[in-house]
Amino acid sequence: MEVEYDPVTGRHTTGHEWNGIKELDTPIPAIVKWCYGLTILFSIIWWILYPSWPYVSDFMRGIAGYSSRHVVTTQLQDATAQRAVFDSDLLKGSLVTLAADPDARKKYEASAKILYRDNCAACHGRDLRGQNGFPNLTDPHWLWSGDVEDIATTLRVGINSGHDDERSAEMPAFGRDDVIEKADIDAVIAYVLFISGQNHDATLRTKGEAVFAENCASCHGEKGVGGLGAGAPSLVDQAWIYGKSRAMIHQAIWQGRKGVMPGWTGRLTETEIRKLALYVTWQNDAGNK
Amino acid sequence: MLEKHQKLERNSLAFTVMILIVASIGGLVEIAPLFTIENTVEKVEGMRPYTPLEQVGRDIYIREGCYACHSQMIRTLRSDVERYGHFSLAAESMYDHPFQWGSKRTGPDLARIGGKYSDAWHVAHLKAPREVVEGSVMPGYAFLAETTVDTQKLPYVLRALSRVGVPYTETQIKDAARDLARQADAEAEDEDVLTERYGDKVNIRDFDGDPKRVTEMDALVAYLQVLGTLVDTKTLKSGDLVR
Repeated sequence: MEVEYDPVTGRHTTGHEWNGIKELDTPIPAIVKWCYGLTILFSIIWWILYPSWPYVSDFMRGIAGYSSRHVVTTQLQDATAQRAVFDSDLLKGSLVTLAADPDARKKYEASAKILYRDNCAACHGRDLRGQNGFPNLTDPHWLWSGDVEDIATTLRVGINSGHDDERSAEMPAFGRDDVIEKADIDAVIAYVLFISGQNHDATLRTKGEAVFAENCASCHGEKGVGGLGAGAPSLVDQAWIYGKSRAMIHQAIWQGRKGVMPGWTGRLTETEIRKLALYVTWQNDAGNK
Repeated sequence: MLEKHQKLERNSLAFTVMILIVASIGGLVEIAPLFTIENTVEKVEGMRPYTPLEQVGRDIYIREGCYACHSQMIRTLRSDVERYGHFSLAAESMYDHPFQWGSKRTGPDLARIGGKYSDAWHVAHLKAPREVVEGSVMPGYAFLAETTVDTQKLPYVLRALSRVGVPYTETQIKDAARDLARQADAEAEDEDVLTERYGDKVNIRDFDGDPKRVTEMDALVAYLQVLGTLVDTKTLKSGDLVR
């Protein structure tokens, strides 16, 4: 086929023919060509300004000096500086004073809640009520201490966390390690069920009391009342971390317990730790009302 | 010039060859320099190859498709750094084959999850995510706690990794199965052997609450607990990182 001239449009055809259909060879509109040229120009300017071409052992850094790592570092420095102003009251005065200060609570509770949800809620729950294996923070029962300064310490060093100054507490595997004989385990379970106000075998209980006094009382307190602030819970209240059923008590005695809370020094700043200690104290008060 | 173009377009073989040449220039310019540019991987202290137990955990992580919902790359964005910690470094995935970066998150980023939660939490969460995290859409992986780790292939896994540049020694490869047991040992009887081979930052304990055997749960939790903990980001100087 020959290229033909089409007088109506003033253009030539492509020279192809498909079943009698011919096609005009219409050029791309000028604006598209212009835009194409502009994008090339834009990219050249971009190469000059921003990091672009790689060399053998380095790359073209661009005269704007841009680096995403530098940008985010600067942004964070600015944010930290701003936050330091907002949080400045937290480092003044004792936590005890701050905990009792309604203005501090008004000012910091909202941001503390975000911090709590990001870091603590996974274990202790969004409502601080804990869950199986993780203690409730809203009740008056504390393994270590519910004083705001002590809560801050727990946050800093953790419990069985591997931190040098960790709060450390472990219930031995009395059953598995043969510290208490099988028959005595049933007896001591009966006694624990008794002191926690549950159904139990009264004949076993008396024997259990002696086993308890010998093996358990040094940590859980005489008659299991707890309150020694050394990581062992009271067995007479209704706050059970792992459950109060016979099966769970047996499991605890058989395999032991060693709950872990990570230490937060390093991951959180001192200001953030103080803020969280206050938050827990404030929510604990609310929970007790 | 347009006419010459026409000539090319009408010869499909020549056109294919030209496309290949042009596309490979793009590839060459983008990929080849990564092997020669000296600051692609930052020089930082603390990185070590995964221990056998962690490596098995990593293989489980990949087998179960965890990467489909979790990235391991904290981007250089303020929101990312505020939530997850220091932005990820290339050096931190230098022993990952393949790396676990990603651009989609259904669950949170895991690049610095190590040490944030207790082992017990990880186990409870992996077994039944909604029991501990309200509204989670993560599936449960309870079977991991019931499956004993298969260590038969372990030396071959480490050997394969060493061929692509992970510096495992002969002893580490040969003794892999024993090192795996040493790390999951609740009594930590051979702690010295492990720390001598893999450094001080090795978590040695029973991870899944079942000290009698080493399960896939032990391996996965050991892997999760080491993520992001090897490089001490507090000691990094910004001059080393700003590129």
